[in-house]
Amino acid sequence: MSNAILVVGGGFSGLTAAIEAAELGHDVYIVEKSPWLGGRVAQLNKYFPKLCPPSCGLEIQFQRIRKNPRIKCLTLAEVVGLTGRKGDYSVRVRLSPRRTAPHNVDFSLLASTLEGQSPSEFDLGLCGRKGLYKSMPFAFPGRYVLDPSTLSKADAARVAGNKFLDLTEQEREIELNVGAIVVATGWKPYDVTRLTNLGAGSVKNCVSNMQLERLASPFGPTSGRIVRPSDGRAPHNVAFVQCAGSRDQNHLNYCSYICCMATLKHCLYLAEQNPESLITVYYIDLRAPGRYVNVLEKVKALPNVRFVKGKAADAVQAEGDRVRLTVEDAVRGEKLTLDYDLVVLATGMQPSLAGENPPLPVPLDEDGFIAGGEEAGIFAAGCARMPLDVTRSAQSGTAAALKAVQTVKGR
Amino acid sequence: MAQCTLKPDLEFARELTEAGGESLKQCFQCATCSVACPLAPANAPYPRKEMVWASWGLKDKLRADVDLWLCHNCGNCSDLCPRGAKPADMMAAARNVIYKDLTAPSIVGKWMSKPSGLPILFAIPALLWLFVWWIRASCNNGEWFPRAADGRIVFGQIFYGDYTIDPIFMITFFGACYILLRGVMKLWAMFKPEGRMTVIGKTKCWVWHLWDVLWDEIITHRKFNDCEDGPATGKNTPNRKYGHAILVWSFVILAFVTAVVALGHWGGKVIPLIKIETPMPLTFPVKILANIGALMLLCGLALLTARRLRLNPACQGSSFYDWYLLGIIWLVAVTGVLSQCFRLADAIKPAFVVYYLHLVFVWMLFAYLPWSKLGHLVYRTAALVYVRMYGRSN
Repeated sequence: MSNAILVVGGGFSGLTAAIEAAELGHDVYIVEKSPWLGGRVAQLNKYFPKLCPPSCGLEIQFQRIRKNPRIKCLTLAEVVGLTGRKGDYSVRVRLSPRRTAPHNVDFSLLASTLEGQSPSEFDLGLCGRKGLYKSMPFAFPGRYVLDPSTLSKADAARVAGNKFLDLTEQEREIELNVGAIVVATGWKPYDVTRLTNLGAGSVKNCVSNMQLERLASPFGPTSGRIVRPSDGRAPHNVAFVQCAGSRDQNHLNYCSYICCMATLKHCLYLAEQNPESLITVYYIDLRAPGRYVNVLEKVKALPNVRFVKGKAADAVQAEGDRVRLTVEDAVRGEKLTLDYDLVVLATGMQPSLAGENPPLPVPLDEDGFIAGGEEAGIFAAGCARMPLDVTRSAQSGTAAALKAVQTVKGR
Repeated sequence: MAQCTLKPDLEFARELTEAGGESLKQCFQCATCSVACPLAPANAPYPRKEMVWASWGLKDKLRADVDLWLCHNCGNCSDLCPRGAKPADMMAAARNVIYKDLTAPSIVGKWMSKPSGLPILFAIPALLWLFVWWIRASCNNGEWFPRAADGRIVFGQIFYGDYTIDPIFMITFFGACYILLRGVMKLWAMFKPEGRMTVIGKTKCWVWHLWDVLWDEIITHRKFNDCEDGPATGKNTPNRKYGHAILVWSFVILAFVTAVVALGHWGGKVIPLIKIETPMPLTFPVKILANIGALMLLCGLALLTARRLRLNPACQGSSFYDWYLLGIIWLVAVTGVLSQCFRLADAIKPAFVVYYLHLVFVWMLFAYLPWSKLGHLVYRTAALVYVRMYGRSN
């Protein structure tokens, strides 16, 4: 029997669930697959509802975690096995080696001298990262990661003697005893390579909305300047393709809920950086839930943003690395073929568990969202359950924490 | 703002559903299909507008819509459709429903629209040819399976060209032509918008446009290649061009052979030099060409049937109209080849029975052509001529 709670996933909903449960007096373990907490929110430039940078909300959460000895964060960690029953689970967790010293050593100077590079996962392939790296300045925990596979021969020699680096650290497994589990595994951007008619990710200057967030982020590959990846020039003509792979039975058969708002936010970024830019949003229907309608009104009032009803269903490369879109303006009944400097595919959110086989006894629906499992003391939070914005993710994290607490209370 | 009252025709919407458009209500008008279609022109592309007309039951709009006939049914739109609304099937269904109404007497169209009409469609020629057989058997001393004086099997002894096959088929052929002509006139009248339509620039007579359509589109099957130019669907959809082209060419060859034989038979009565006797020996050039045509027919059919069987039902379905046409051509081809085989093998009873069935199926193919999917041979051609006359072609 255990009163501890396991939270799988260290994104916004997982952090919220963990903190809420810990502040009610329970021991909490956060198991996070990536090297840092913060999840998808950490990758954003700004997030709704207040359009503040992620450091704003996440920093508060990180402070609460730092101050609370009941929360144990396991990063580079994955649940690999689960036995037991509600109230008494034994969880096997695999810890991948970080290969850096436990305290926050500043490796920035050493990292800058390394030459080997891999595509940056955090920047969604927009740039490279070194073999010794940290995603962003306020990453939590503030520790670097050493990835030997990215090191060149010279790099390996350079890091070999460093007493704060351990190239020999091995992967290991630990076992945790918990009473309830919160699954907050979140989402992944839909794989653009599956959108064959939209270029399958091979058209230059046709980026996804998450890539645009990285381009707009001050800690991203361009220090926040939104430019064309091919030549670094500011785009003048920009188009957004809404429902790229969402509401589509060939891809994600549901509305991803956030892409409309993400695009509206991106219109604001672009208009702010370059008031001269011309933006066209190709949509089927626009969803601006609740008071987000104010943002829609604000963007509609911008002189340089145009909304066209009709799904852009064909994207190919045009001259000058421009992107040629074909779309029918369904209101005027005209087929348009136009070239843009930059095209943003508003791809949807796919649950991280889709196509995975998690070692957790949770039923998934056909799309990969968690549907049930509460009778076993396992509670889904955030986008693992359904597409949500950050506010609602946090709310669902609190709700899951409360249910988890009720499960272990009174044992 | 001008008010527009829509008059939905529920009966029409129901007919469309029955003819293969059952998924059309899934459509949420995203307009992916209009982009998916490489043939759809930039101004007023299709099939999105047809989808909304169909789901609203706007019969008059669809009947007046020439774009319905520009579609060559490649299925790109259905492959990319995010809702599985199958626009390609709806377009095909709308064409079938329009054949049904366009062509008088419409009762044949009713029979043609569903499997339950098949027995009647079959019974008419079956009784007709049985009656012919009975009369001719009486002329042959009551012998239903007679041999010629030299002991050969000669189908002409029962199904005698001069008095039975030729007149019946001529009436059938010219009757079908007349019915089609009226259908085409009606179709063009439906296409014409109210008031006057003026074409700016050079115009030419419809005959020359027909010539252009035949040479530029039908002989070359160019549109089938154009269909391949759509956005990448990521789905494996083999080009239908080859199966369809082989089938069309075999029809041309077999029509030519039939014409030569008819000319030899009837012309031979006037000019003995060009007389052709049936059955022709296997080495006779006309016979060789006929057998090549038959083999091509079987190849084309096999290709098209294999493709249709491989279609993903989630994207593109096959309606009764599709299977009727493939089925009837299969039956014509198989009974034709078999009757020759049985005749050469000297199996007299199977030879006559199979030849009788061959006549039944050939009659079905031609007599019901105006109501069947094969009507596209004439109606689509007529529509393609029309679009050229009014400048909506590419």
